[in-house]
Amino acid sequence: MWRRIWAITQKEFIQLWRFPLVLIGLTVGPALELILFAVAINTNVQHIPMVVADQSLSAASRSYLTAFTDSGSFDIVATAPDQAGMIRAIDSGQASIGILIPVDFAAQVEQKDANVLMLVDGSDSFVTQSAYSSAEAISQQYAISLTQQQLSPLDAHIQILYNPDLQELWFLVPGFGAFLLYGIALKLTAFAIVRERELGTMEALLVTPIRPIELMVAKMIPNLCVAVFNMALTFSLGMLIFGVPFRGSLLLFSVLASLFAIGSLGLGLAISSISQSQVQANQLASLMNIAVLFLSGFLFPLYALPPVLRLLGYIMPMTFFLPIVNGIITKGVGLNDLWTPVLSLTALTVVIFFFGALAFRQNLD
Amino acid sequence: MQLNFQRLGALIRKETIQILRDRRFIMLFLGLTLVQLFVYSYSASKTVYHLPLAVVDQSRDPTSRAFVQALVNSQYFDVTMYLDSQAQVMQAIDRSEVKAGIIFPPHFAASVNRGSADFLILLDGSDQFAVSSGESAAGLVAQSFGLQLSAQSVIRSGASPASEGALPIVASTQVLYNPDMNDKWFVIPGIIGMILQTLAIEQAAIFLVRDREWGTLEQILATPVRQLEIILSKLIPLLVLCLLALGTSVGLGIYWFGVPFHGNLFLYFWLALLFIASCLGLGLVISTRATTQFEAETTSLVFMLFGLLLTGLFYPRIGMPLVPQLIGDLVPLTYFIRISRGIYMKGVGLNFLWSDALILIIYTVIVVFIASKRFKMRLD
Repeated sequence: MWRRIWAITQKEFIQLWRFPLVLIGLTVGPALELILFAVAINTNVQHIPMVVADQSLSAASRSYLTAFTDSGSFDIVATAPDQAGMIRAIDSGQASIGILIPVDFAAQVEQKDANVLMLVDGSDSFVTQSAYSSAEAISQQYAISLTQQQLSPLDAHIQILYNPDLQELWFLVPGFGAFLLYGIALKLTAFAIVRERELGTMEALLVTPIRPIELMVAKMIPNLCVAVFNMALTFSLGMLIFGVPFRGSLLLFSVLASLFAIGSLGLGLAISSISQSQVQANQLASLMNIAVLFLSGFLFPLYALPPVLRLLGYIMPMTFFLPIVNGIITKGVGLNDLWTPVLSLTALTVVIFFFGALAFRQNLD
Repeated sequence: MQLNFQRLGALIRKETIQILRDRRFIMLFLGLTLVQLFVYSYSASKTVYHLPLAVVDQSRDPTSRAFVQALVNSQYFDVTMYLDSQAQVMQAIDRSEVKAGIIFPPHFAASVNRGSADFLILLDGSDQFAVSSGESAAGLVAQSFGLQLSAQSVIRSGASPASEGALPIVASTQVLYNPDMNDKWFVIPGIIGMILQTLAIEQAAIFLVRDREWGTLEQILATPVRQLEIILSKLIPLLVLCLLALGTSVGLGIYWFGVPFHGNLFLYFWLALLFIASCLGLGLVISTRATTQFEAETTSLVFMLFGLLLTGLFYPRIGMPLVPQLIGDLVPLTYFIRISRGIYMKGVGLNFLWSDALILIIYTVIVVFIASKRFKMRLD
């Protein structure tokens, strides 16, 4: 059995070497993507463009507005005479938030009864949410600072474990590394079987005494090498460049990440065996590649998903690997805290291979 | 280069027949649109409710119980465990059994009455979503609970209740276009663009390569058709399919997801047509470069990722560094997202969107031009 697998593995290695450019692209690509996206993505929006309709033009209104600009969250990019002018600026996309300060603002503040109107652009979720919450907080803080009274008899200390300063890259890099790895793994194997079938070389393989599961293993080994190299490069670059701390056991991480790579490659092989043509395999693989962003808990929280979609997420190795990456890298915990996702990932990998081999056999005739 | 419409018509007929013959392709095409629209719209929600919470109550008095109740009532937390110490809470968070913990010191009620109570809330910082929802929810609950307590103590001390917690400035905030900040309203106009771009680029990228891989390209080249005619004959049937997908998505967005369409549907249609054309053109450029379907697929996947992350679809373009922003500028979706949100949600017209529309026109002309030039070079 091992001799048969080894023979096919050699053939696959030779085929892989035949396109060195593709190979380089596949190995270096994810690391570059990680750097690009890690630099690009920031969910903590600063310098939100703001339009101001200051009808009061008093010391009080200026000091109120300074609280907004000093926070760094808002930049005043335009002024408008009235509410209609503010809405126009928001309509045009020039500003994302507008503040209307009424004529008698200064007098109202004296009487402790001032009202301002804030309009937030509700067409862009991230900007809307940041603008909404920081504007309210700034306004409230400013108001509290005007009264000298102590407002609340209780003081909540909120402490964030593992990532006390809410460093965004600490959230992003581990999951992103896993996502890129998953994408590469799918891509590597999604074409593996269906290509042989389309090119007609499958018959040649079939006359050899190799069994379906052996063929799958043989197809996987060279790709696993690429994926493991890939992963090492991507994660170490992520850690080194972005200073994300690696708190847990490197050995445990390597073992589990290889398991994840095997599961993802297996998923690609399964896609390849159920597809009739390369076009179909390609469509399925891309679909799985985007869907994982939505359904694995990477881009959006898993526990906010409707139950049906959550079930869909459970066929993706990424769903179980994410708690493992976060657990080992960010939390620094070991196997005794991670055995649920580890067992699930193992079970899923076995199921994927079983199903892939089954689909492969059924697809033969 | 002049077009012969008779030849073009014949070619389009050939492509259409080819597409229509493959029923599964059409089903897959429309099916994918629907599946993606549903999956993404239902999953794209960042607010997390019912975070599992561990409670350590060393005080066991009515005030601490009332505070926990206030947390539960906010819907953001569910109490799933009662523990004895902070160390146990950290362990539970380590194990991911809970996402948050709250620790009340002894004599909580007494220190509240003195006006100097403090307590600790722990959040799982390895989970971005738990942190962002949990932190603000816990902070808000603590604040309003505190205000309520101080109002009560003012009333008890006999002062007039009029001054209870009143702030000198009250800001009333209105969210335009999406007053309830409904997640689906945020997502749908952008998602429609993303789905269309993915379909268009991918299909166009594969089309030419497939002809080449199957060897059917030679047959077409043997006829007297020009390259621009071949390009257009590939583009037009796909354009029709994409428009079908667009109509379905917008219809579902309005009638199924209940996202009101504020703008001019007619204008939206024409600008979406332009957007689809630019994506198809981009796909063809990829197609002329790639020699195998694998290469074509890989390249279009890269554009898909750029589309998701750099165009402002999910992550804001405000504050993005220059290089990623420039890369995002190369993706047609960047412009269409502004158009789609502008017309769909804001209800604005061409007077605000002309620059994005103009860029899309230029973009389309350039990609179709490059595609036909490159195509010519690859003939030999």
